[in-house]
Amino acid sequence: MAISAEYLTLLRVGINASPEWKEAWDRINDYLDALKVPEDVERQLALLSSFEQAIARKRQEPFTPATQLAFEETQRALDQTLGHLIGPEVPRDRRSVEERIRLFLTEPSDRSSSKSQVQLSDEVLEALREVRLKPTPRLQQASITARPFRFSPTGEKVITFAERVAFLGSNRILSWCLGLGIIGLLIFASL
Amino acid sequence: MVVVLGKRKIGFFNETVQHMSGPDRSARLVELVGPARLDEVFQAKVRQRRWAVGLVTLGIAVIGVWLMCDMLNLGGWSPLKVVELSLFVLLFTALAFGFTQAFIGFLVLAEGHEPLKITNTLDPAAPLASTAIAMPIFNEDATTVFGNIRTLYDSLQQRGELENFDFYLLSDSVEPNKVVEEELAWADLCRQTNGFGKIHYRRRRLPVNRKSGNIADFCRRWGHRHRYMIVLDADSIMTGEAVSSLVRLMEVNPRTGIIQTMPKLAKAQTLFGRIQQFASRLYSPVFAAGLNFWQQGAGNYWGHNAIIRVSPFLTSCGLPELPGREPLGGRVLSHDFVEAALMRDAGWEVWFAYDLEGSYEGLPPNLTEYVKRDRRWCQGNLQHMWFLLAEKIRPVSRLHLIQGILAYGSSPLLALFILFGTFQAAIDRWHQKTLNVQLPSALILMFLTLLLLFSPKLLSLIHLSSQSKSLRPYGSGLRAAVGVVLEIVFSILIAPIMVWFHTRFVFRNLGGQTVTWHTQTREGGEAPGWAATLSEYWPLPVSGICLGLFAWWISPGYFLWLLPILLGLWLAVPLALLSGRSGLLTSFFRTPEETEPVKELTTSYVFQLREGDQFVHAILDPFYNAVHVALQKERRNHAPAAEGYVASLAAKLFRQGPEALTAREKRALLADGPTVARLHVLIWKTPAQLMNPIWSKALESYRSPERVSRPASELMEQSHSPVDPAVA
Repeated sequence: MAISAEYLTLLRVGINASPEWKEAWDRINDYLDALKVPEDVERQLALLSSFEQAIARKRQEPFTPATQLAFEETQRALDQTLGHLIGPEVPRDRRSVEERIRLFLTEPSDRSSSKSQVQLSDEVLEALREVRLKPTPRLQQASITARPFRFSPTGEKVITFAERVAFLGSNRILSWCLGLGIIGLLIFASL
Repeated sequence: MVVVLGKRKIGFFNETVQHMSGPDRSARLVELVGPARLDEVFQAKVRQRRWAVGLVTLGIAVIGVWLMCDMLNLGGWSPLKVVELSLFVLLFTALAFGFTQAFIGFLVLAEGHEPLKITNTLDPAAPLASTAIAMPIFNEDATTVFGNIRTLYDSLQQRGELENFDFYLLSDSVEPNKVVEEELAWADLCRQTNGFGKIHYRRRRLPVNRKSGNIADFCRRWGHRHRYMIVLDADSIMTGEAVSSLVRLMEVNPRTGIIQTMPKLAKAQTLFGRIQQFASRLYSPVFAAGLNFWQQGAGNYWGHNAIIRVSPFLTSCGLPELPGREPLGGRVLSHDFVEAALMRDAGWEVWFAYDLEGSYEGLPPNLTEYVKRDRRWCQGNLQHMWFLLAEKIRPVSRLHLIQGILAYGSSPLLALFILFGTFQAAIDRWHQKTLNVQLPSALILMFLTLLLLFSPKLLSLIHLSSQSKSLRPYGSGLRAAVGVVLEIVFSILIAPIMVWFHTRFVFRNLGGQTVTWHTQTREGGEAPGWAATLSEYWPLPVSGICLGLFAWWISPGYFLWLLPILLGLWLAVPLALLSGRSGLLTSFFRTPEETEPVKELTTSYVFQLREGDQFVHAILDPFYNAVHVALQKERRNHAPAAEGYVASLAAKLFRQGPEALTAREKRALLADGPTVARLHVLIWKTPAQLMNPIWSKALESYRSPERVSRPASELMEQSHSPVDPAVA
């Protein structure tokens, strides 16, 4: 769609004149920065186009915040630009996530959403449609069984004895008294 | 076991096989003598070696004990002296065993050819097999972990051997920030390397049974996909060549269950780290060669930088539940030694590839972090006492377990030995008996002890000096020698500190206190400050002063005798502080890994990770958010209670900001992908006046640096500038 330069300039002046639309403008620019979309003329044009739609909607929905309208329109524009990278089976509420993943995967060579359509080869496009971010391979389950712990005959005797004297170590104060008592006894016997 | 014989003569068939070496010749040898006979000869040789080590150790121990008896005999025996002697027998035997091992290792290295080592069987033409590179992680620095995996990935790719390997990052992380960071680092790593389907990332929601549970979980899920697994620590770095060699060694040794490499310490920057790195690099070869000399196929597993045959691991190495509760009972904390023992019990060999190059690991950066790590290891090793009483543990495995226990258990024994010696000296002083010892015996025993303690270091230096080519990376012979002297001084000074802490840990564990599982600080972590150091170390100088005064009261001679211990105690705080400093004594403690590092040690990788709160990024950053949401499992059961809980968390987060949620709540929220995706949209499209200011400020942080630096007037001007009509 051809838009006249005068119209665009006027639109920008209008956006800057309204605090509500100015905030929306900054917010959407921040979002595109987060998406690492290069700040060039194409981005400006896409933004203005989205804002034009948002301003038009604002007339019908006066109580909807400008930021929300602008975000929704920008998201719609992104859907249109990146839609071809996603298979048709992806549900609507998931499409934004999938679009961002494809943007991430094609970074840094194809940061611009508008350029991706031009630069990606058919093969890459096909591959991107098939992409599923799958962190693990298919399960090939095996079992690892813990071996039960069994005492050897000597171990059995030791543990039986240890169980008999275990009460001595059950209380910390008693243990300390016992330890210090043994040392004291040793010293006393050595005097 | 395939025995490869070189110029060494073994038994009756020495003439036939005198010059045999390499796998083909080994096969020929098997043909000549028959596998059964060969195995018999091998076992006889191993028995000979073990007898030799045992007898030398016993001989040294007998001399030491005899001198000690002679020393204590003067003035008659007392109960204190008897206990002192008993402790001495145990400690001195352990010391003698260490020395014997190092001495034999020195002889093996000096001779230049060890016929009985696993690496002799390495056949570079042997085929590779499907191998998993498994790296368990727990709240680690994502850049380090994923960078280390990338290093190995690239190394294998350059060798054209990547197709046989799959990489598994097995996360048990629970910190929300770390979880989010790992996810993006994984996606970025896969993107950079085109490694989707090759580099896998799995996070357990519940880190049951810690590291051993993590590996067991991996085995249960994908155990049947791979013939071998190479287990790495978060700070492990291995070269592609080392990894391929391990697989080939396993392929040509079908009776081998585990091959452990000797990881060299690398990438240390602090004084403590560099000293440890230097000591390990210089002294390890003699100890390792000696260890392999007697243990042969009955080796040990250290938990990482090792290859494991998955099938017997699944069938034989399931860890038992120990009797009683933690700290000493319950689940096995330190699994590696036990797994090696179980593997041996199942009839598989465990080898130590001590001379295989290309295996590296990091180390704690300062004394405090080192001590913290020891606290975990201490509890794990003490648990092994149960296995000494268990059935079906082979004698050599028991010896490994005893060594592990004594690594920490010897400290309280040594402390008691010194304490009882001091009490005895005090009693003698009380009875006005001066110097109640046989001086010649005491001097000889002191000399012998010093010899056992320090001669392995000297032998290592001699071994190094004998190879001029090996000496160059250490700076020069003089620098290496000065480094050894400084390292000895340092080790003498920190020895009492380690004894102090180890004793405390042992008594705490015996008293029922357990350790919490925390992430180890790797090299580069912040050095502890004065306050933190003082609060941790203050009892050492205090007890050092008390012991010094008491020793001086006994006699100035006794004070001088204890001076090396006292110095360590007095200087504990400055030593701990100095240990974490970088840039000290950089002319010394050089190692080949520092001066001539392999490519794998110098390459560093950058991932597209943002600074700041990673949890906030998972909500706001479009890429973080998309990756995180895509990695969450779809919720199948729409339980109203769970949905209501997550919705309430989302509402709380939106209204009050990220600080309002606990780590647990953050985890619960992050686990719900659709809610996180909805929050992302909600926050981005809500005007600033309708939400918490924290969010609008956070959103502004995504503004590109160009837009931030551009003055407001320019922004306005640009806004008013006409668009090129042609473009329009």
